Amino acid sequence: MKKRDDVLVGLVIAVAVIVAILGSLWLARGGLSKGYPLYAKFPWSAGLKQGQPVLLAGVNVGYVDDVELRPNGTVLTTFRVGKQFHVPQGTTATVVANGIFGDMAIALIPKTPNAQSIPPGDTVPVGPSGPGIAQLTAKADSVATSVNAITTALQKELVTSGGVADLRKTLASTNQLTLNMNRLVSQFSVIAAEQNRQLSLTQASLRRATSGVDSAKVDSTVKNFREASANMAALSADLRQTSLKLDSIVAKVSDGSGTIGKALNDPGAYNDIRGLIQHMDSLMVDIKKNPKRYINIKVF
Amino acid sequence: MIDAVSGLFARIGERGYFMRDIFRGLGDPATYGRETIRQMRNIGVDSLPLAAIVAAFIGAVTAIQTRYQLFGGVQLSVVGLISRQSIILELGPLLTGLVLTGRVGARMTAELGTMRVTEQIDALETLAYDPVAYLVVPRLIAAIVMLPILTILANTIGVVTAYFTAIMATDVTSAAFSEGLRLAFAPFQIVYSIIKATIFGAAIAFFCSYEGYTANAGAEGVGRSTAQAVVIASVAILVLDALTAILLAPYLQA
Repeated sequence: MKKRDDVLVGLVIAVAVIVAILGSLWLARGGLSKGYPLYAKFPWSAGLKQGQPVLLAGVNVGYVDDVELRPNGTVLTTFRVGKQFHVPQGTTATVVANGIFGDMAIALIPKTPNAQSIPPGDTVPVGPSGPGIAQLTAKADSVATSVNAITTALQKELVTSGGVADLRKTLASTNQLTLNMNRLVSQFSVIAAEQNRQLSLTQASLRRATSGVDSAKVDSTVKNFREASANMAALSADLRQTSLKLDSIVAKVSDGSGTIGKALNDPGAYNDIRGLIQHMDSLMVDIKKNPKRYINIKVF
Repeated sequence: MIDAVSGLFARIGERGYFMRDIFRGLGDPATYGRETIRQMRNIGVDSLPLAAIVAAFIGAVTAIQTRYQLFGGVQLSVVGLISRQSIILELGPLLTGLVLTGRVGARMTAELGTMRVTEQIDALETLAYDPVAYLVVPRLIAAIVMLPILTILANTIGVVTAYFTAIMATDVTSAAFSEGLRLAFAPFQIVYSIIKATIFGAAIAFFCSYEGYTANAGAEGVGRSTAQAVVIASVAILVLDALTAILLAPYLQA
């Protein structure tokens, strides 16, 4: 019995100690593997502590092993990366906030994809640090100032200048407008119903009129229309031919070919006609003056 | 009033003498060595199922409560973080201590009280045995050693139960919970939990042993001493919990 007590107590204590050690290691490092060491010299470690995670491209690949403040004012940080992970050449290390509870982490950010990796024991160059609490606070302060200015302006416009009262009036007017619109819509509904009824009646009348139409007469009318249309087409063709002929005649007249063309286009003929007309005028004048010279009427 | 104050100091003084006897008894390992293992079995191994059940339910409830108290937009890994911190820093040691006050402390007082009223302790003194070294020191050492052990196991069971509850009963993923579990962790958090458990173990053993050791007036006195021991030990655990938090919490930040 005594021996059994010893075994049981020893077993429980051993299990608890192993669980505590393994659990702490898992929580702090993510496992038992130590990984290979890399170094980074930060000008500002932002409260980095042993056990905090190391992220490569956002993936947890290791943990911070040691943070040492050097006499020259830099912080030499030793961190271990799992053996299965390789840090590409050109990667930079930055201390970043991990979550919103003040936990920090080392972020390894590869510049470009690179098959060559940084060898174990090498120092990773330090990249530009992210915004600190002071910068964030300053940014938040400027945002707060802007919000304050907007709030003041809104208060001035809405409260002091009576904007809220105007808004209330507008809302009241809108309510009234809505009521009027509702009334109008109801009136339109009544009108539409009446129109609908009238249309139904018209449709019924049309249906009755349609049923009264003699289809034979309609057919013969359509046939007559078709014949008239054919005649019109023939007439149109004849007119087109006539028009073409007239066009050729007009062309000939314009060209001056043919009798009419020559008569119309010959300036000599024109002058002859003008001279003839002038002679005719002078003859007529002479006839009026001396009719007896030309007209000699004898009755007996 | 003066009587009350002088009575209070007298009670404190009596416990001071009792503590002196315990330290004196520690110098005689041959007397308490064998008994200590038996008490470790009683206090630690036999209490493991009860502590495990309590821790499992506390872990499950913590995970569910944490998940449903989060407002929209908060990353779900917070469930792992809050569950771990609640269980390891507070609920694990505190509830294990309170549960053991009921199970172990009451038994301790009843055992010692019965031995007192049946004059077994007087018999030990007659046989030139140091009753404190034989009866109280083993219980104190066993409680100081086994309560941290039980707390470590309870913490582990609580966190594991919280993990399974979170991923099975809520929308928290395994990866998110694990990420939260490892977020802002400092090994001192485990040490803090062990320190608390050690203090609670010492408080349970000391107050319950004292009440049993000084029991009188027959069976009724034993019952009264047992009830008083449980109350005093429970209150002492809560007070010590607050004091520990005030003193050590600033060192907990990761």
